[in-house]
Amino acid sequence: MSSLVKCPHCGLRPREEFTIRGEVAAPRPSAGADEATWFDHVYLRDNPRGEHREYWHHAGGCRRWLVLSRNTLTHETSDVVDASTLKTEGAR
Amino acid sequence: MHEYPLENRFAFPSNDAAGAGASINLAPIRDGFVFHVLGDANSNEVDLKQALVKIAPELGTDLRSPSPNQWFWVGGADVSDSRLAEIQAEIPEQFVLADQTHGRLRMVLFGASSRSVLAKGTMVDLSPEMFAIGQSTMTQIGHIGAMITRTADDSFELIVLRSFASTLWDELQHMAAEFRHP
Repeated sequence: MSSLVKCPHCGLRPREEFTIRGEVAAPRPSAGADEATWFDHVYLRDNPRGEHREYWHHAGGCRRWLVLSRNTLTHETSDVVDASTLKTEGAR
Repeated sequence: MHEYPLENRFAFPSNDAAGAGASINLAPIRDGFVFHVLGDANSNEVDLKQALVKIAPELGTDLRSPSPNQWFWVGGADVSDSRLAEIQAEIPEQFVLADQTHGRLRMVLFGASSRSVLAKGTMVDLSPEMFAIGQSTMTQIGHIGAMITRTADDSFELIVLRSFASTLWDELQHMAAEFRHP
């Protein structure tokens, strides 16, 4: 398993320095959406084969939230960005 | 007065046989200050340095960044509470300064084997090409979060939270034990 993550602030770091929160959730449903939609949003998670976007916290380094792509087959990580860039990225 | 956590810690005995070339040494840095500077999202180190030179030229501008828009401002002088208040009042609006002198301890690990000792605890690449003199980085030594700064070819300064200082000290002693022989 590839255990090195390239933090955009700190460089190449071992996986042990990070805390993993989980997938980057889809946008929140509207407040009035039906129960099934909310249940799906809150509890149901995909278990994709291949590329997967996740929140990671660099707890042992810069303490920034990062978003990275992880391939669930190979565990290769790529596209590591600071989570604050998501705001400017738009709706995702 | 706060009790200094490393007060009664056993330092490396002076190793006369090894002479000045003793391969490893660890020493606390008791004097001086550690200020935590937090900047807003648009702040940068150049602006901060300029401001600090103007406000407190006597304290130097040794800045070490643990995270974007954050710095530890470190120096050897003792800063009184009133002087600190003056600096806090004069620092530009985009920065906030908090005293961490008693919250974080500094120690220095030096000697020919210092890199090998540190490499046992951290996965940061400490080779001179990757980690030059003056560079610092926030990482973990074992399970303890610490900031490592290279101050010379074979000298590293560590900044660690006060409550972890004695544990880190003891761990470094263990890690260095094999290099203590002349």
